[in-house]
Amino acid sequence: MIVVVGLSHRTAPIAVREKLVLESADLPDFLRALVQRPEVGEALLVSTCNRVELVAAGRAGFDSDLTRVANACVEALAVHSPGIAPHLYAHVGGAAVRHLFRVAASLDSMVLGEPQILGQVKEAYEIARKAGTVGPVLHRTLPRAIRAAKRVRTDTAIGSGQVSVPSVAVDLAREIFGDLTGHAALLVGSGEMAEAVARLLKVGGASIVVVGRTLSRAEELANAVGGSARPWSALQQSLVEADVVVTSTSAPHFVVDYEMVSAVRRARRGKNQFFIDLAVPRDVEPRIETLDGEFLYNIDDLSKVVSDTLSTRTREAASAEAIIGREAEGYDRWADAEQATPTIVQLRTRLSAALEEELSRSLRGRLKHLPESDRAALSKMVESAVNRLLHQPTIRLRQAALDRNAESLSLEQLTSAISELFGFDADGEVVSTPENALPDDVEASNSGLSLAPKAKVVASRN
Amino acid sequence: MVDVATIAFYLGVITYSVAATLFFLELARKDGDTLRAQWAPRLLAIGGALHAIHVLTASLLTHVCPIDSLHFALSFSALIAVGAYLLLRERLRLSALGAFIAPIALTFLVGAQFVGQSSEAAQGVSRTLLMFHIAANVLGIGLFLIAGAAGSVYLLQEHRLRTKKRVGMGSRLPPLDALDTTTHRLLLAGFPLLTFGVVTGAVFSHQLTNPGGAESLRSLLGYATWILLAAVLVLRKTAGFRGRKAAYGTIAGVVCMLLVLLLYVVRSSGGSSL
Repeated sequence: MIVVVGLSHRTAPIAVREKLVLESADLPDFLRALVQRPEVGEALLVSTCNRVELVAAGRAGFDSDLTRVANACVEALAVHSPGIAPHLYAHVGGAAVRHLFRVAASLDSMVLGEPQILGQVKEAYEIARKAGTVGPVLHRTLPRAIRAAKRVRTDTAIGSGQVSVPSVAVDLAREIFGDLTGHAALLVGSGEMAEAVARLLKVGGASIVVVGRTLSRAEELANAVGGSARPWSALQQSLVEADVVVTSTSAPHFVVDYEMVSAVRRARRGKNQFFIDLAVPRDVEPRIETLDGEFLYNIDDLSKVVSDTLSTRTREAASAEAIIGREAEGYDRWADAEQATPTIVQLRTRLSAALEEELSRSLRGRLKHLPESDRAALSKMVESAVNRLLHQPTIRLRQAALDRNAESLSLEQLTSAISELFGFDADGEVVSTPENALPDDVEASNSGLSLAPKAKVVASRN
Repeated sequence: MVDVATIAFYLGVITYSVAATLFFLELARKDGDTLRAQWAPRLLAIGGALHAIHVLTASLLTHVCPIDSLHFALSFSALIAVGAYLLLRERLRLSALGAFIAPIALTFLVGAQFVGQSSEAAQGVSRTLLMFHIAANVLGIGLFLIAGAAGSVYLLQEHRLRTKKRVGMGSRLPPLDALDTTTHRLLLAGFPLLTFGVVTGAVFSHQLTNPGGAESLRSLLGYATWILLAAVLVLRKTAGFRGRKAAYGTIAGVVCMLLVLLLYVVRSSGGSSL
């Protein structure tokens, strides 16, 4: 299991979040230093403008003492950025898995359903992988988190639509014109939001013309958005050329009226035109909507689209949470089944070692005349025998790990019985007794056989 | 050969049906790229290939040139519509039109089974000219079917944007300009064929000794189609007649064309010839 330690927009104001800034160039060293600690075996760091979170696992994999891992992570972050400790949170075990899945699926984001976070989680995984700080636990956890997030995005409308007025305006322009490359946009007046729309239109490939009552101000704005400026007197002609018109003046009356647009429409030979009126009071006479090919969205229309999108996303969040719940349960089951692995490995080691010993003895004695091919065949036969012998116990142990039925034997009872029967000590290591001690020459594999993993088995459980 | 034609027919019906379903599901999807979006056009293409195999093998079996029979001509028109759609969809972002084209292809493939198997030229009618007449009409029908579908989708998309309902949620419908341009280009491509079809049709009609009421109505509807579509093209050029009005004009023209086709079908089912 894993721990997640960090802070986010929910627990820390920006003044605190900006203290915990880790340059991407420094990240691999930070992670390597962290996994040098005796408690931490694996680590990665998800860093965005709204959150910094360490995802870590202990040295003993799924059987690590997670509280100690969490404390080590808290300490590492607090040492790096003094003063942040009161804002840190720590999720441990199943709660950490659910949190990570929710983060990747953008359910914990400031803007629900924003798409960037999944890429940031993937990037964090990649950086840690390259730094060599990802082990078996994170290698199995992160892909599951990414898969869960993808399922959420595919199966729900959590990421649908746009949640800012400028983005909605540009999306609508695309619904009318398609690719904006080669289309002309006219910005009438100034204003922060109008500027943001103009910038997005420019990024989309549109050319920008700014018309203002004060030419110097228009020029300033045109330079800022990468367009050209024209005097107020050129408004009518600019309207004829513009496919998208963004208005944001402080005029108390309509700047673009019905008669003007009727004339413009004739000059444009009926080509579609999209008006985005961001001004209050409004700049564009609403009656122009009755003209064929003229589309008008004012600030209320756009805000309503944003609000509808947010409502949809909020409604979809319930479905997304259900998906995350199912994925996290799947992870829990898999992690439970993993608890049986150390015992299975112990059994395999013990059986393989015993058979290897017997075979090795025979190959040095009565069977020493056997050629290499026969020795290899015997080796294969013994390996198959071990597999067949362990097939049923493996299934039973994994079932016991998953089965929480009080009437059947628990994993603890079964592993305890196996330890007792086979003489494993409390830490899961094989107790060396005269009966089960392996002869030195078997370790050296001088028989040329390789039957069992030689690694020391650690199977401690929480 | 019979088996091949039959198997291709049934498989074509199945793949067209699945493609149509996927296109509709794709229109209604919530977000994100899905397998549906990839498989709907692929299945339509597979359906088109099976359709072509069916037309080819069945025409070989019956020893009838595919365009010399109403049965095959109907089928062939839909096949042309499918081909043109598959060629244009990527370039003009017309994926959503598949929701119209796939059911049309299915209807024409199945519907062609219930009309007369072949037409015989009336006495005194040039067989070569008749072949060209049918070929032009078949091609024109294929192109106008997509134009009509594009015009219908234009009206849907325009209505959506005007009423400001369900906007901003990532529409699956193509952009208005793409639909308008597609309609116009298809009309431009199909109009010379239609003109040829109407002129040759008028010649044949004149050659018939006793045209009858249905024949006269068919001629009238043919002229109405030509006038409506010509008006759409001319007014676009002269008076900027685009968008909604052009879409209505195109749909009206295509409806007239389909009525002409219906009269053919009804008459052909009755056993009379051209």
